[in-house]
Amino acid sequence: MFETLSSRCNRRQSRLATTSSASIISGTIALFLFAPSLLHAEPLVAADQKSLLSRIRDKRAAAPQVQANFQEEKNIHLLNKPISSSGKVWFQAPNKFRREVGGNSPSITISDGQQLWIYYPKFQSAEHYSLGKRSPLDAGIAALTAGLNLENVESTYHISASKAEKGYELELTPRAPSLKRFLQRFTIYLSDDLEVQRTDMLQPNGDRIVTVYSGETRAPINPNTFEFTPPAGTTITTPLGR
Amino acid sequence: MRLSTNIAHLVTQRRALVWTAVGLLSVACIYVLVTRMRLDTEVLNLLPKGFPSVEGLKVYNQDFTQVRALTFALVCQPDDVDKLEEFAPTFAQRLREQPWCARVLAGSPMETPEGLRDLQAIALPLLLNLDPRQFEETLATLQPAGIQARLHRLHEEIEAGSPRPQLELGLDPLGLVGPALKPFATNSAVEEDQPLTSPDRTMRVFLTVTNQPSIGAFDCQKLMREVKAFQKQASAGWEGGPLQVLVTGRSVYVAEISLSMRHDIIVTVLGSILLVSGVFYIGFHRWLPLLGMGCTLLLCCLVALAAGLLIFRELNMVTVGFCAILIGLGVDFAILIFGRYQQARDEGSNHAAAVTESVSNLGRAIFFGALTTAVGFMALMLAGSGGFTQLGVLIAVGIMFAGIFMMTVFFLFLPPNSPPSRSDWMFSLVKHYVRWMVANPARMLWISTPILLVLTVIAVSPKPPVIFDVSTHSMEPKRSDAGYALNTIMAKMPARWEPVIGIVQAADAQQLHDRWQTVDAHWSELQREGKIKGYSTPAALALSPARLQTNRERLRALDFPTVRAALKSSIAAEGFSANTFTSAFGLLDQMQAAAQSRAPLPDWRTQLPAKSSWWFLVDRYFAHDPLLTTGFVTTNEPLTTQAQKQMLAREMPVPGVPMTISGWSFTLTDLVPWSRHQLIVISALMAIFDATLLAILYRDWRLWLIQIATLAMAIGGMIASMKLLHIPLNLLNVLAFRLVLAIGVDYGIYVLLVWQKARQLDHDVAGVVKPVILAGLTAICGFGSLGAANNPTLAGLGYACAIGLFWSLTATIFFTLPAAAAAEPKSWREESLQPRIQEPKHV
Repeated sequence: MFETLSSRCNRRQSRLATTSSASIISGTIALFLFAPSLLHAEPLVAADQKSLLSRIRDKRAAAPQVQANFQEEKNIHLLNKPISSSGKVWFQAPNKFRREVGGNSPSITISDGQQLWIYYPKFQSAEHYSLGKRSPLDAGIAALTAGLNLENVESTYHISASKAEKGYELELTPRAPSLKRFLQRFTIYLSDDLEVQRTDMLQPNGDRIVTVYSGETRAPINPNTFEFTPPAGTTITTPLGR
Repeated sequence: MRLSTNIAHLVTQRRALVWTAVGLLSVACIYVLVTRMRLDTEVLNLLPKGFPSVEGLKVYNQDFTQVRALTFALVCQPDDVDKLEEFAPTFAQRLREQPWCARVLAGSPMETPEGLRDLQAIALPLLLNLDPRQFEETLATLQPAGIQARLHRLHEEIEAGSPRPQLELGLDPLGLVGPALKPFATNSAVEEDQPLTSPDRTMRVFLTVTNQPSIGAFDCQKLMREVKAFQKQASAGWEGGPLQVLVTGRSVYVAEISLSMRHDIIVTVLGSILLVSGVFYIGFHRWLPLLGMGCTLLLCCLVALAAGLLIFRELNMVTVGFCAILIGLGVDFAILIFGRYQQARDEGSNHAAAVTESVSNLGRAIFFGALTTAVGFMALMLAGSGGFTQLGVLIAVGIMFAGIFMMTVFFLFLPPNSPPSRSDWMFSLVKHYVRWMVANPARMLWISTPILLVLTVIAVSPKPPVIFDVSTHSMEPKRSDAGYALNTIMAKMPARWEPVIGIVQAADAQQLHDRWQTVDAHWSELQREGKIKGYSTPAALALSPARLQTNRERLRALDFPTVRAALKSSIAAEGFSANTFTSAFGLLDQMQAAAQSRAPLPDWRTQLPAKSSWWFLVDRYFAHDPLLTTGFVTTNEPLTTQAQKQMLAREMPVPGVPMTISGWSFTLTDLVPWSRHQLIVISALMAIFDATLLAILYRDWRLWLIQIATLAMAIGGMIASMKLLHIPLNLLNVLAFRLVLAIGVDYGIYVLLVWQKARQLDHDVAGVVKPVILAGLTAICGFGSLGAANNPTLAGLGYACAIGLFWSLTATIFFTLPAAAAAEPKSWREESLQPRIQEPKHV
């Protein structure tokens, strides 16, 4: 259901520029369907926002790991059509994560905080990136994991919290110019018991990624989950150089 | 008629004639100075000639655009790092708007659309420059199936979440730019090789190239006036805490050094005149002779400067120190002559007789003193340094004229009827010392000899070691804003060190290409073997006309309509946006045009916009003459040892490729043996010259031995003092040793020659010891005043000479004299102590 809504919403964004009547209609429908949640979101006062962030922090501190299924839709300027994918994500505070995408273009993305691997089983190839060099990639990873890693989120983002009909909305806008170049706005939708339900990432170039999470658990994660050794015969590339 | 009588006749009876000659000489010298004065501010001209590394450094500094580069740095407080990141684009834009700024690099060109577009603009010549096999492989990707497979793959990678396709499609939608730039890739990591942000993010660096017409001192000063005005208003709009706007670069240094020359001239000359005048007045309580001495020394300086300009056509900045040194040296003669003259007047002689006696008694000593000093300074020519050669010749000329003028022109300023001297406490003190020392030479020797010997032992002992500073910092001006900026940048940036450069020149483009291909392969091997940490060369940018021709022939076989059709259908099939591939079709058009035309390809330099950030990279490798290029080798450790230098000198060159290896660190390390050679061999030659001269002069082996021992212990005291006071030797102040030898030997000559001829020791010897002390003190003051110079080479030379002369004077008074007294028969000594004539009442 959400995919449909999101898809229509995104189409509205991209096709408004061409002012086609079809996009106006679909956009209007999307706005209509999406409107209730917007109308019912009430901004939290500062004290309540602080309390909410404190509760989130406590919950993360009690269980610094999380895993969930996800469904994602990307609208990127390179492509005319949005891309949908689904898979599972594991996260261990402060910066380890693993993301497996299934379907026709499977991939595994693994990071231990210092290294990032993206492995394509179909092509038997892997990309290797070094993190921590203040490259745009670091900003990208920070944005990618922001929904799961709300540790010290106030120091990285300006936060605007509001109470929705069911749960909360956190609108994050980056403080650092390096992150601003990659991310314009990041919205996190939380349930009443503070589980991440959906994230909406808008980039300055107009690209937008909406991710819906389900089946969140906070069971311990095997440390091997965040380790990656390229299988024999894998072609390894380093697209950003050394 | 004796020479002394002739001189006395000339300066007392033919005064108008002498004044006219002095006036004409002065006018001629001033005319030369006004019409021919040219100053050489090139610091590299202080280094010796004949070293390829020095010549390479000069070529690199003169012919490469980097000499017009300025590096700006913004430094903020740790709490303001985000504000700095936001402010940086504003600052960069302000820089670009400056009329003196040709281009600015504020970040990696790969991060800006302009940077990517500029790179695409030069893709075609780089593509055609590929090795024919690689070119064939690259063209194979333009087969319809290849295009389809690539775009499908990119689509799938986008779906998988890889950032790579976005990067690739932004730069290289056709898939040809990447392979074309592959040889270039190792050079293009500007962000990584030259990080523009410090790790703690409190500093941002901005590289600029200026449009100043030349790198001469006046153009640099003009530029820096504008830059300083910009610095003052550059932080407008900054809302954080204190923000430093720093700037460094060659132009900043040149402006600072040339301006500090004026400061150095004023400070050292005024300081020298003030100190010397003070010492003279304390010694003689007379102003008119002081004025005469000053005017005579000024005449010496004028003549020497005019002679220097006529000989060398331009004078290096180090010769700024010449006047202070000449005043410090020339005043010795004036003090000696006047001391003797005054003594004769005090004994009742008239003006002409006193002139005759002073010239007669001291003429020989002054001649040999001037000769040894002149030879000592002329020995600077052996250093092979243009600047020091000039300094040596100027001082040698000046000191010889000082000797002549002090025995002629100086007397013009002495009033024929001067009042008698008042009580002379200094002469009394010296006389008492001489009387006591002559009576008890052993006691004095028991005190002075052990002290001087201990210092000599310390000097030759390996511990504490002599500090030998060969770092680039040792050449940097004191109190330098450019130096502060550079040190701040270096301190905040990750540990990096200056690379060694290999300069390669070729006769034509093909030869340049072939040479760099060979060098690139060789250096790659060195890197694999771990002999070097890394390297970068212009191999990718040195295009081969032969390859371009071959690959263009091959390009003609490509079916461009089919390629275009395949690309269009693949774009549609994979759902890519058409805008993403606009540059791909543009490149295909260029390729087709290159294939169909027989005309030469346009030079890639003309395709790169003048303001493109890529020029920063290109200019690193190419001089104004595109056939003059350089590559860079990063060593595993900072280059400090001879072993490292020798390894690089052995390994970096490739047979058949003429290469000049250079770089500041490499050159300074290369010069260490030269500097030690200066210190040991040439100083030893100087000592041999002095020893031979002394043997001829004294014809007495005991006095000769005493003088040699004095010189040895004075040098020992000098080295020991520098060790104990932690004063470093650098590449240039090692020259002080020969200067101290040359000047210090004079004190011994004055004292021992008078000692040999003395009829009344306390009269004759005290009569020369007092002027020698005054002369020594004035020379120490003259050299010591150089310590106030901003130019570190002058200041270091001044300190070292002042220390050396102090020990020369001390050893002469407290060792030479008692040793000579001890060596002579006692009976003669006692006899000589009886006064020959009645002492003047005032003494």
